Amino acid sequence: MRALDAVRRALELAFRGLTGIAFAVLIASVTVQVIGRLAGASPVWTEELTRVALLYLAAFGAGLGIASGDLVDVDVVRAAVPGRVARAMRIASLGTTAALCIALLPAAWLYTSIGARQSSPALGVRMDLVHASVLVLLAALGLFALLGLARALAGDDPVLDRAPDVPGVPDTPDASGAPDDPDPAGATARDPASPDRSGPTR
Amino acid sequence: MSLALLLGGFALALALGVPVAVSLGLASLAYILAEGLPLAVVPQKMYAGIDVFVLLCIPGFILAGNLMNGGGITARIVRFASAAVGWMRGGLGLTNVAGSMLFGGISGTAVADAASIGGMMIPGMKRAGYPADFSAAVTAASSTVGPIIPPSVPMIIVGSLSGISVGRMFLAGAVPGLLLGLAMMATCYLVAVRRGFPRQPWAGAGELARAFGGAFWALAMTGLIIGGLLTGIATPTETAVVASLYAFAVGAFVYRELPLRAVPGILVDSAVSAAAILALVGFANVFGWILVSERIPQAIAAGVLAVTDNRFVVILLINVLLLFVGMFMETIAALIILFVPLLTLATSVGIDPLHFATFAVLNLMIGLTTPPVGVCLFVCANIARVPLSAVVRAIAPFLATNIAVLLLVSYVPATATWLPGVLLD
Repeated sequence: MRALDAVRRALELAFRGLTGIAFAVLIASVTVQVIGRLAGASPVWTEELTRVALLYLAAFGAGLGIASGDLVDVDVVRAAVPGRVARAMRIASLGTTAALCIALLPAAWLYTSIGARQSSPALGVRMDLVHASVLVLLAALGLFALLGLARALAGDDPVLDRAPDVPGVPDTPDASGAPDDPDPAGATARDPASPDRSGPTR
Repeated sequence: MSLALLLGGFALALALGVPVAVSLGLASLAYILAEGLPLAVVPQKMYAGIDVFVLLCIPGFILAGNLMNGGGITARIVRFASAAVGWMRGGLGLTNVAGSMLFGGISGTAVADAASIGGMMIPGMKRAGYPADFSAAVTAASSTVGPIIPPSVPMIIVGSLSGISVGRMFLAGAVPGLLLGLAMMATCYLVAVRRGFPRQPWAGAGELARAFGGAFWALAMTGLIIGGLLTGIATPTETAVVASLYAFAVGAFVYRELPLRAVPGILVDSAVSAAAILALVGFANVFGWILVSERIPQAIAAGVLAVTDNRFVVILLINVLLLFVGMFMETIAALIILFVPLLTLATSVGIDPLHFATFAVLNLMIGLTTPPVGVCLFVCANIARVPLSAVVRAIAPFLATNIAVLLLVSYVPATATWLPGVLLD
């Protein structure tokens, strides 16, 4: 189990790095676009590179959303059933996620290979390299679902551990991570190194 | 049969707690297998769903909000709001709402607002003698204003679904956002008068000016975003990236509270949040393609129109459905699944798409503060350390206010369409 844990951590680190690189490329590409526009000569390849960076940002980052909780689910039923059933549901959910991704991999491979006959208009990149982003997304999502499944089977599930045992009775003393004695009119700041990890979607 | 598999499979997977994105993929896969369609349609539609120009701005806006949040903005916004309205009866409650409105102009996410403003305001309110349940309720209720006031991730998603420009969508949310905030401040004041909540002494014009000066650079980001989109100088993606660079510069060099070592983590966390939305959009595009090819939007429209074609009733029906769905489902997932079918219904009775999009987002935001899946309720109850049931009771007047504003926006299209009309047409 310890070895699997080490593999998971290494993979998470690698995918976090790749996701960050994809985002950095996106930001750099758009910045070049803006500077180019202001200078009167915007390069033609920037928009295409931005789109490819976004596709790979999604591909590398989506799997990480399983453990971080960013990949939202509807937990009404899970919160209402006893802990053992909730755990079984979580295991089923992770297993189903992995199964879906594995089932779709051959189709994603086919879609990727179709792109080999095309190239992108501005960058001239072979489109199979771009289409492969969906293959990577499904593979990463499946991989992290399997790793999450192994973790859940071992009784260590970050998503289940985050949920309160009894709905409505908070068990986390301070969900915000904020200081307990702030001055509403003052300048007490929250730890700048710990921005909210509350998700963007609501 | 295949359609029953699609909808039944989706409902079952959701109930099991399978992520919404994966539930959409599973149901779509079941339909495609039952219909004997090639599986390659799934990756193809996923790719097409993610490779959309409008979506390029989502990671940038999330990063800008997170950088500002990590750069000491919350305290400054709260200080300014406190100096402006804290002297009135129930002043800290009013400060809370005003803080959410100002914060909404930067982050565009309700839960981030509830956690940030709540983390600072709720303990402070409790210390000043406000009941914990009220403190949590006013924070949760006011956090919903964030994704209405631009920038707003749900508005970007709606833009991608409807073809309405992001700038137009952002502007459409401005007046409803202000109405929502002002109505909640009025409610807060009335509750404060009735329950005898304290007021703060007037800190003076000097403090107001100093507090404004402190918050100025953070608040200016809203102007930068709206200005960039309105003048047409920049695309939404460019605006989002420039806003991120601006947020970094303000946090690191002006406020000096954003340590450089924290930036890579914030960058990656923002990217993961965006990636989860994009995965949802990708799978939803497969699901949506099936719905459209099965002519479900038209069937829903025909079904409702067979019963009534009264616009007043149709708006009411749409709102009741969305309020119900919003109680259980996350906003973006609900928007992606329901927006197109309901838009077909709305336009068939003459509702402007921009107007519909605005009240649909507003409606689903209210779901964040209704049990059983009101995420903001959970966050605020946790911060205040009170049972959820107490917050649910205390939020009732604010919920009634929010629904009243929703009805106003739903039945007075100008609340959504006037500002974009004046500034863009």
